Amino acid sequence: MEEKGLGVSAALRFEHVSKTFVRANGERETVLDDFSLDIAPGELVAVVGSSGIGKSTILHLAAGLEKPDAGRVHFTGCGRPRLGMVFQQPRLFDWLTVADNIAVAVNAARGDIAKARDMLAAVGLARHASAYPLALSGGQRQRVALARAFAIAPDAVLLDEPFSALDELTARKLRLLLQELWLDYAPSGILVTHNTLEAAFLADRIVVLTGRPARIKLVIAVGDARPRNTENSFFFDLHREILATLERSAG
Amino acid sequence: MALWTEAADGKRGRAVIDARRLADLAARVLPGLLFCVLLAAAWQVMAVRWNSPLIPGLRDIAEQLVTILRSGDAALQIGTTLARIAGGVAIAFVIALAVGLASARNRFARAFFEPALLLGLTVPGLVWALLCVIWFGLSLKTSVVAIALGVAPALAITIAQGIEAVDAQLIEAAHVYRLNAWARLRYLWLPAILPFLMSGMRLAFSLAWKVVVLVEVFGLSTGVGYALNSAFISQDVAAVLAWTLAFTVVVAAIEYGVFQTIERRVTRWKKKASV
Repeated sequence: MEEKGLGVSAALRFEHVSKTFVRANGERETVLDDFSLDIAPGELVAVVGSSGIGKSTILHLAAGLEKPDAGRVHFTGCGRPRLGMVFQQPRLFDWLTVADNIAVAVNAARGDIAKARDMLAAVGLARHASAYPLALSGGQRQRVALARAFAIAPDAVLLDEPFSALDELTARKLRLLLQELWLDYAPSGILVTHNTLEAAFLADRIVVLTGRPARIKLVIAVGDARPRNTENSFFFDLHREILATLERSAG
Repeated sequence: MALWTEAADGKRGRAVIDARRLADLAARVLPGLLFCVLLAAAWQVMAVRWNSPLIPGLRDIAEQLVTILRSGDAALQIGTTLARIAGGVAIAFVIALAVGLASARNRFARAFFEPALLLGLTVPGLVWALLCVIWFGLSLKTSVVAIALGVAPALAITIAQGIEAVDAQLIEAAHVYRLNAWARLRYLWLPAILPFLMSGMRLAFSLAWKVVVLVEVFGLSTGVGYALNSAFISQDVAAVLAWTLAFTVVVAAIEYGVFQTIERRVTRWKKKASV
């Protein structure tokens, strides 16, 4: 795992971003209004908040899946950033083998196929390279999704509740794996999660969103160097602090 | 000793797998075969009981079949009909792909083509056959255009349904990972819509057969439809059944030899994933 072929970590910037959706009944809902957030190179920012507040919209804007109505979302520090994304569901091509799922993304990013093979070993799936995703467990499929995101040597990685569909034991293992990958590849990133303990353990900074449209209520710099220990009581204190903020906001 | 045990286990394992495959094959083939045998037996009972040229016995039908096969007439007429079907279906596929793609991706296009597709589905193949014979007379164009008109609407709807069924989450993943147009077509769109394409092509061939026979009956002097019409004029029921049987065998060969082989190849991953 020495030679990781690091991507040039990019800074990600949301500048005065607004986004309004029109619902099926014609009702307009402004999810983000004049929202600004800077993410430094190599930094992982966790975004937490209640359901439907606009956390995923932030990720979709960063991924280019949505366009802002006002303001702009852009990367600095690299030309066209290589983006890795891990969704709640693995979103793999079921008709391609595990290795081919990763190779397709690596080829599209003009990356190094040999590194893709190393990545499979790094996530513990070397012997499943020729298996099809549906033959794997949910946790293994999410490992493949992680491998795909990091095999392209990403400048930034976007994580949309990546472990929420998994049992807690598997999720714990994958959080540790994600931490290792972050240490090795150091991309910039956003982690959207409902799990405040997960946010505290993984992120460099936690942004707590409240209200509609979403406002940044609280920003917490975690400040603990990686690798981190999941049993550190510091994370539980942070977890309680975030929960208290969310509860106060909910009234 | 250990090696011997492993080898023995391997042989036993292979034998078990072979036996299972054989049982699977028998379970798939035997019921259909039983139906055919019972149908033939029932037909023969009818033929003996009525003893009429309108219900020829199996022997008469078999003799007719041998005659048209030996003379080379079967190969010529069936080949001609299949070529017409292939031409018509190819044109229908191009039209259906464009219309299906537009309908699935664009609301205006869907509303625009909807009346045409509904009309196309409800107009009987007989109408297309008659109109094309009147318009184009005795030419290849007649059968090809009639087939294309008869087949394209159903094929377009199937293709549109296939495109609409592609998982939007996978489209997003392909966008995030910046797959280019070729990679999206090869790794996302084609594998995702292939089951729909296969059922669409099967439907297309069955519809095309019904249309081409009518065109050949009404306006052409070659093909299975023409041969069937000749047999009909001479009230030769054995010949009608022999021609139908010969064509059915060819269609079954295409189904098992072409469609099912392609389907098996492209859906191999499902079998492997379920192991």
